[in-house]
Amino acid sequence: MSAVWRASRAAVRRRRLQTAVIGVVVGLAAMMAVVALGLLVAASGPFDQAYARLRGAHMLAAFDAAKVSNDQLTRAAQQPGVAAVAGPFAQAVVDFDGIEGQRPPSSLSVVGRTDPAGPVDRLNVWQGRWIAGPGEIVLAVNPTDPLPGQLGAKLPVIGGPTLTVVGLAYSVSGSANAWVTPAQMADLHPTGVQMLYRFTHAASAAQIAAGQAAVTAGLPPEALLRAQSYLALKAIAAAQPGTFVPFLIVFGCLGLAVAVLIVANVVSGAVVAGFRHIGVLKSLGFTPAQVLGVYLAMVSLPAIAGCVLGTALGTVLADALLTNAFKYWGSDDLGVAGWVVVAVLVGMPVVVGLSAFVPALRTRGLSAAQAISAGSSPHTGRAPRLQRWLAGTRLPRAISLGLGLPLARPARSAMTMAAVVLGVTSVTFAIGLAASLTRYQNADPDLAVQVEVHTPMGGTGGTDGETLLRSLPGTKQVTVSADLDMRQVGSTDDTRVRFWRGDAARDRYQVLRGHWFNGPGQVAVSQRFLAERGLALGDTFTLAGNGTTARVRIVAELMVSSSKVIFSNWATLAQIAPGTPPDLFQVQLTPGTDVPAYLDRVKATGGSLDAFAPDDTDTFIPIIVATVTLLTLMLGTVAALGVFNTVVLNARERRRDLGVLKSIGMTPGQVTAMMVTSMAALGAVSGLLGVPLGVAAHGVVLPAMARSADVHFSGSVLHVYHPPQLVLLALAGVAIAALGALIPARSAARSTIAEVLHNE
Amino acid sequence: MTNGENEDPALVRLVDVRKEYGDSVALAGVSLEIHAGEAVAVMGPSGSGKSTLLNMIAGLDRPTAGSVHVQGDDLGKLNEKGLALYRRRRIGMIFQFFNLLDDLPAVDNVALAAQLTGSPAGSARKRALELLDELGVADRRNVYPAQLSGGERQRVAVARALMNRPALLLADEPTGALDSKAGEQVMDLLLDLNQIGQTLVLVTHDERLATRCASRLIEFADGRVARERNLERTP
Repeated sequence: MSAVWRASRAAVRRRRLQTAVIGVVVGLAAMMAVVALGLLVAASGPFDQAYARLRGAHMLAAFDAAKVSNDQLTRAAQQPGVAAVAGPFAQAVVDFDGIEGQRPPSSLSVVGRTDPAGPVDRLNVWQGRWIAGPGEIVLAVNPTDPLPGQLGAKLPVIGGPTLTVVGLAYSVSGSANAWVTPAQMADLHPTGVQMLYRFTHAASAAQIAAGQAAVTAGLPPEALLRAQSYLALKAIAAAQPGTFVPFLIVFGCLGLAVAVLIVANVVSGAVVAGFRHIGVLKSLGFTPAQVLGVYLAMVSLPAIAGCVLGTALGTVLADALLTNAFKYWGSDDLGVAGWVVVAVLVGMPVVVGLSAFVPALRTRGLSAAQAISAGSSPHTGRAPRLQRWLAGTRLPRAISLGLGLPLARPARSAMTMAAVVLGVTSVTFAIGLAASLTRYQNADPDLAVQVEVHTPMGGTGGTDGETLLRSLPGTKQVTVSADLDMRQVGSTDDTRVRFWRGDAARDRYQVLRGHWFNGPGQVAVSQRFLAERGLALGDTFTLAGNGTTARVRIVAELMVSSSKVIFSNWATLAQIAPGTPPDLFQVQLTPGTDVPAYLDRVKATGGSLDAFAPDDTDTFIPIIVATVTLLTLMLGTVAALGVFNTVVLNARERRRDLGVLKSIGMTPGQVTAMMVTSMAALGAVSGLLGVPLGVAAHGVVLPAMARSADVHFSGSVLHVYHPPQLVLLALAGVAIAALGALIPARSAARSTIAEVLHNE
Repeated sequence: MTNGENEDPALVRLVDVRKEYGDSVALAGVSLEIHAGEAVAVMGPSGSGKSTLLNMIAGLDRPTAGSVHVQGDDLGKLNEKGLALYRRRRIGMIFQFFNLLDDLPAVDNVALAAQLTGSPAGSARKRALELLDELGVADRRNVYPAQLSGGERQRVAVARALMNRPALLLADEPTGALDSKAGEQVMDLLLDLNQIGQTLVLVTHDERLATRCASRLIEFADGRVARERNLERTP
């Protein structure tokens, strides 16, 4: 066994705490680096990644089954520019009599498919299973929008069989609302045929159009009923998860910076603290290269162990976070890229090696005697003016001594402070983000609704229903609405118009710009609606539907995210479709009202009203808040560990000074106070720097998230910080530093000092 | 603590004190008394237990068995804070290698001892300057330890030890790291202090220091008191 190896092993055994700290810090840093890099990679073009992974269709085409045969479609698809094709699949629009226990009836676009996999549009069956035979159906549901009770529900086709829901699947291409077996399709009277294409070149609308022209060339005219490019889908689908991207980037960058800083600080500190030991090794005859070898081995052993473990844990954690973050696209197998794992496994030991190498290199030029004397605390009295000034203040001496301590090792203090600054920045940003998102969520008008009451199909509901509900104990407010599916003339997109009557809507919806309705012919819309349609507040447009048209003016922009629903008042409905009965009553209850009891009371009226408590839990924002909390805790913990390590090193270097102070009567409490103060001072400065940085990050990221989601955040959502809160946040730096310092400070306070004093 | 309000005539009383470090026995049942105003020299070969004895009296370490009483207080009954307060109020320590804080100039090193008791910085510095003046190093008050000579450092260390007017001054090889001239000066200083009533316990290898400064000599061997005798101080 070589002398270097022996000395390294002995050093590792003798410095158990330091070895453990290096292992834990490198492990946590590796974990954070994997999460950060994983998030950054996934955040860059998540839609494209998910689309590529699930082989989403570049073009969805529906053909008229009466005008073109399956063979013709298959032959036509064999073109040079077509990379893959799936279909033909029989397709039908099927009317259902409502899903048992769920909302009123609807029409679904159903496709007959044997297999969820395939060369194009691989379906993610995220709940239940794929269809095994006739009588079964799989519904297309986004994993972020689960409705309870769907699995196992019976779905009666009007004039056809009853199908059992056996699975919930997600199509990244949005190719259908539901799937059945091809054999089952015969009972559903298909009129169309679906073809799904992936093209070799599909980056632009022109390329998609070229692909469409190629695959329809030679087919009978008018055989193509509808073609949908994935580019439109990309624009729509990117909106919600896009909100995740800016904050993931911020946290990813913060995580990487903290990881590198802390590792560099801990490892270089371990080497600097070992200068005395280096001197002893030199005096024994170790060459500079051997000394370097001892120190590299000493820090590398725990670092490599920590790195491997941290990378493994980070991969698991990042997988979980990414699955949540990008579940929107149903790509629950979206994991950490392989190169990220390799990069961290290689990169982290390189950071460790460099961090050890640089200070170890300094010892090459030092004689053994110089190295031994360099191992104790600095002798030159750095920043004497400030320390003298502190000595003359009225502060308790333990505190003033503590305030001066960081000046003894300015580089180490600066690196520790940088880590705490990033920690405070993260906490500030995270709290602001959580507050903003919570306010945004609370502004969601549907959250204020505790009971929804539907009128039966063909039922009248109407004023009687409203009067009935208002008469029930526990009713606070009732908003009556009716929906009509209409279309903006000149647009291909359907628009649902919700007409309101009643007292609550105005309170629940926040008007960002414009004013509330004050007459007929007025509508309120979302910012996304305006952006997608190229409209502005004050513009007028024509709505068509229900056998009539109506000219309406946009009088308000509301804080809602949907571009598919616009809002109007009952006076407008009376012009468009007089006599339309309400189809929904949204009830707010008086505080303390028991919701199930209220539902029973509605049932007990004996009427035909169907009341239930909506499950409007938005999973998206809690996911963001949980992710933010987790990442913040990780960053805070690593920053605190950096402080912990700094205090351990300071205490070791200042063993003699601590002994002296104790010998002249410094109590254990004063020693603890001194060591904690030394870090709390850094923490306070870090707080002062980190809070503005966090607020600035919030100021940049929130609007970016709003732009991604095509929503407009009101001032109350953007401006969430208040002066007292900022003061408390600044104290977060002190808290991180004090918590990190407390354990090693108490340990230093209890250490035995007699030997040090007599021998050094 | 009783602050010395007791009827024990001995300032320091050790009763059958034993100290073990694993299998090694540093003190093997030591009993002795030191009276106020005495100057006691403790001598013996390396490893005989001299410094361990000093640690026990200073409350820097605790005995494995037996008891240490100072001004009637049993140090074994004090917790860590109690021991710190005891050292602060009743003990002054001088070390072979001075043990000054390198980051502080001479005057702040001396004032520190008083400031830890809560004395205001101004009055602590005033008394520190008086002591430095008495010990002949007032002109070096703003100099950092690294720039002081060995003798000057030890004078600053003595000033620090005297800062809180201790009942007992403990010195561990106070001339061990000094040249002969500086050593002479420190010896004179200690003698002067004892002559004005300062109780002194000296651990030393230097018989000249012992015979010049001490009125009683305790010789240690193998962790025990081997011999004890009164001394005629030699000039």
